[in-house]
Amino acid sequence: MNRRSFLAGTAFGVIAAGQATFAQAAVPEPYDWTAMPPMDDRQAFIDYMVQHRGEDPTFLGQRFDIFLNTVQHKDLWDDKDKRAFLMTPREEFVLKRNLDRAYASDFLDIGFGVTISGPRLVARMSSSLNVVKGDKVLEIGSGSGYQSAYLSHLTDQVYTIEIVQPLFERTGGIYADLIARGYSEFTAVNRKNDDGYYGWAENAPFDKIVVTCGIDHVPPPLLEQLKPDGIMVIPVGPPGAQHVLKVTKTLNADGKFTVARSDIYRGSIVNFVPFTKLQDGKIVGNHNG
Amino acid sequence: MPLGFRLYAAVGALAGAVIALQIAVMRVFAVGSWSHFGSLVVSLAMLGFGMASVFIFLGKSWLDRHSKGTATLALFLVGPLAVGANLAAQMVPFNAIFLISDPTQKWRLLANFLLYLLPFLSGAFFLGIVFRQGKEHFNRLYFADLLGSGLAGLAILGALYVLPPEKLLVAPLILWGVSLVLWERRWIASVCFAALVTAAYLVLPAILGVPSITVSSYKGVSYARNFPDAKRLYRDISPFGDLQVYSSSYMHFAPGLSDNAAFNVPELPANTYVGMYIDGEGPSGIMRALPPEDAAYYQYLPMYYPYVVKPNAKTFVVQFGGGLSVMTALNAGASSVTIAEANPAVLRAFHAPELADVTGHILANPKVKVVGYDGRLYLAHTDERYDVIDLSLADSVGLSNPGGFAIAEKYAYTEQALLAYIQGLNDGGVLSMTLWNKEEPPKSVLRFYATVAKAAQTAGGDWAKSLFVSESYLSTTTILYKKGGFTEAEVATLRQHTADLSFDEVYSAGYVFDPTMAKGILGQYRASIFGDGTEAASLAGDGPAIGPPTVDSATAPSDGTHVATTADAPSDAPSDAPPDDGATAVPSTTLARMIWQGFVQDADVAGQYVFDVHPLTDDKPYLAGYIRPSDLTKTLDRLDTVQDDWGYLLLWATLGIACLAAMVLILPPMIFGGSMGASIGGAGKAAIILYFGCLGLGYITVEVGLISWFARALTNPTISASIVISGMLVFSGIGSWVAEKITKATWVLPALMAGIAMWLGAMTYVLPGLLEAIGAYSYLIRLICCLAMVAPVAFLMGFPMATAMTWLASRGQEQMFVWAWGINGSFSVIGAAAVPLIAVSFGLSAVLGVAAVGYLLAMLAFLAMVRRVR
Repeated sequence: MNRRSFLAGTAFGVIAAGQATFAQAAVPEPYDWTAMPPMDDRQAFIDYMVQHRGEDPTFLGQRFDIFLNTVQHKDLWDDKDKRAFLMTPREEFVLKRNLDRAYASDFLDIGFGVTISGPRLVARMSSSLNVVKGDKVLEIGSGSGYQSAYLSHLTDQVYTIEIVQPLFERTGGIYADLIARGYSEFTAVNRKNDDGYYGWAENAPFDKIVVTCGIDHVPPPLLEQLKPDGIMVIPVGPPGAQHVLKVTKTLNADGKFTVARSDIYRGSIVNFVPFTKLQDGKIVGNHNG
Repeated sequence: MPLGFRLYAAVGALAGAVIALQIAVMRVFAVGSWSHFGSLVVSLAMLGFGMASVFIFLGKSWLDRHSKGTATLALFLVGPLAVGANLAAQMVPFNAIFLISDPTQKWRLLANFLLYLLPFLSGAFFLGIVFRQGKEHFNRLYFADLLGSGLAGLAILGALYVLPPEKLLVAPLILWGVSLVLWERRWIASVCFAALVTAAYLVLPAILGVPSITVSSYKGVSYARNFPDAKRLYRDISPFGDLQVYSSSYMHFAPGLSDNAAFNVPELPANTYVGMYIDGEGPSGIMRALPPEDAAYYQYLPMYYPYVVKPNAKTFVVQFGGGLSVMTALNAGASSVTIAEANPAVLRAFHAPELADVTGHILANPKVKVVGYDGRLYLAHTDERYDVIDLSLADSVGLSNPGGFAIAEKYAYTEQALLAYIQGLNDGGVLSMTLWNKEEPPKSVLRFYATVAKAAQTAGGDWAKSLFVSESYLSTTTILYKKGGFTEAEVATLRQHTADLSFDEVYSAGYVFDPTMAKGILGQYRASIFGDGTEAASLAGDGPAIGPPTVDSATAPSDGTHVATTADAPSDAPSDAPPDDGATAVPSTTLARMIWQGFVQDADVAGQYVFDVHPLTDDKPYLAGYIRPSDLTKTLDRLDTVQDDWGYLLLWATLGIACLAAMVLILPPMIFGGSMGASIGGAGKAAIILYFGCLGLGYITVEVGLISWFARALTNPTISASIVISGMLVFSGIGSWVAEKITKATWVLPALMAGIAMWLGAMTYVLPGLLEAIGAYSYLIRLICCLAMVAPVAFLMGFPMATAMTWLASRGQEQMFVWAWGINGSFSVIGAAAVPLIAVSFGLSAVLGVAAVGYLLAMLAFLAMVRRVR
């Protein structure tokens, strides 16, 4: 079998595997930028989302649980980011075989040597970008599409580039399906299949850039396409042991640019301890053991 | 059952097939996923020997009546089982990075283990039955077994040059076929059967649509293959690995490139790079020669550092790799560049016509001189001296691919290696070392800092003035050592260069460190790993007692301080507060600064860190085992936080499984003790277990230990393994052959074992010097020297097993025979898992020490056995 047909076959298999089987209801109401789901009561959240978004109550419950955990871990701290977290249906972006772990804290395989990052990391990265409505955000490495879907709840200008063509097409299928079901906010996501190293010059400059693929240096074209005072975040390291690098670009008084690398934890030690289990709002253990 | 030569040859060929199969399976794992999982699967599969012995023991009456048929069936099954197991394993690949998060992965790992166990079990069954039936001539059979294994080890080394990994199983299948033909009188049928099985191995994957080797999509080469315009330009197979070079416009390499390059260097032309992969790992970037207008690019790479203070340098590059250090040196105006590369496959690639377009004939540059072997060995023995010695990203230190955290000897990074580099410097020469700095919390970088500090101290002089250290957060770190110390002006120049690159100065003679910045940082790092998640990571008050650094006013910068680009935020910033928008402090840089101050002030700061960051030495050359033994149990519920130490933890798991399996295998004969002969009581059985257990443990410990030792002189683990395994097996085989002639008296064997123990003890003292001394000679001479070092002790180590087995047979203890053989096999597996753990924790010397103790215990057990078994 030649490699291309093998890849194509694999892509088809993965596409088939990527389709979820649970009831896929249409979103009952048009998207509302001001809508704010309840954040302090699990059942109220589920009821609200079933009513306004037509989503599956089981997944909604899991989403709320991981939301509480993520807030507890200070990976979410802003209402607009909390809203984005709660509004994004992560279960739509994982492979069928991983549906029961869609809201686990782990990163998951999505094929092609690519993972969908764990919810905690996505929340921390997105929160660190401090995206506000109207920001132009570029994502390098669309992958599952979850990150750009999340961003589309923060701004109406999301640009995302994926290098692996079959993955690009599969994610496109997922988006098309979701938009057809009424997730109109995802129309804000502009996609292309290309080498993200060179950014997206036609739409530059960007206020924020998030890079989700491994590379041994920060691509200079991306730094060029970042606006002054813009922020770029890049997870570094292998999946599961990734640390987020924050890069800021500043225009100095002398007209030159300065680039500063920093962590996203404001200089404190990153808490690596396992994701904790909550019960009645208290930590009772962790999800490893 | 055939007799005479045909029997021995059949045994030898099958034993050889088993060894060849082990190596082939490990290669399949190395190319498809990660080699250390291959070692795990194979070493556990060798439990097949213990398992076979139990089956034979339990069914000995029946087997005695049907020995020929059963042995023939077991032999016939080896080939089909090897082919079937390998094919099925490709259908259930497992992925190490999801071992914790995906529950199905552990079952896939188990499936791989069980599948590959089958051919080994079948082979062991055959050998066990033959040994039992031919017990009177055990030493000759054992000789054939060892000789066959040893020669096959060499044969597969040759096969690695001609058979790519996806066809490598052909080698064990041929040996199996030979064994079949020798064993079975209907040789035409045997030939046809072996040919059919081999053909099935070659064509079944295509027919069934299963890859010959399922390559993990997380291997570097898989990403390259996903690029739409990817094209394989070159492939070279050899024992040095499966080297492949891919081109694609999607490849971009610039290890550690400063972020400032974006505003100062024009965009590089497309297709500037191609990627080199060895066993699918990589890539190492090979770069086309850049046009002059792009030459500024090199100044933004960390490997440019030494040339800031050493223009027109006579340069030595310790490891050539993809050639980026050489390009940098040439562009920095080096007057000459001598490169060392121990992997001949890499040099072949750079000479290959197919790659001439991309390598730009760099090796043919008149300024470039090539040394075709290890840079460290060369520098230790040459009279040449250099202005700059470069050790830049020569190895993926601390930056392995996911799941690929193997435990391997890093002899290029030890204290002794650094001293060899320093010795190779001219007065005023600069040693430049650049490593990946991508861990948080940092581990390998701190261990290497400790090594550099130790080497600098040992080298003497005012060593604190000889160092300049800078980091780029989550990118690279560069350490410069200048023989004779940096001048104030040079420090200022380096400091300016650091600022120009937006890197962070970590240490220099004039660097002013504010200890209040690091207050509580050690406790915070500990809490971040072993806390329960509830602590605010802002523990305070446990910082080490480091006073303000003694600033040499003569070397301090004019303003007395250096303002770094990061890490200057107050240390009491709330740990769990949301980040703000500004550039913020980086704890790992603060930690690194504090640890360097500790080195200079002789305060044991590194010793208080959550991870073990002791210096690397030739005796402990490992960038692994960071978890302190006292913390091991605490990692069980947080394995995902220590993923880069999984290779180490996996060894503990392997050891545990091996011990458990060994107990299970030893117990049945103990439970069914009534049939073992009334003449052996509990003490006798214990002596037998101890004797054969210690032999198994001792033998494998020496074997695996010497592979690690010799890798230093032979510079390649595959060659080292082949030479040690083959050499030991062949010489031990000869030992077992002559054993029956000279060990009739019972005092001879204990005396020999005492001799082995003494020899091994002596080796721990003599080997370092010997290996250092032979480093100056040609590769062939080094190979012969290594064989000569192995031969005497391996010869002696062939005696105890053969003699004791023959002795058991002569005492009418046939029922004990196969059991003892199984104990030996099971303890071999335990030993194989224990060696790296002993080496990482106590050093390579301790490995041979443990083996020596094993042989002394075996000696005592033998004396007890003689008394108890009449």
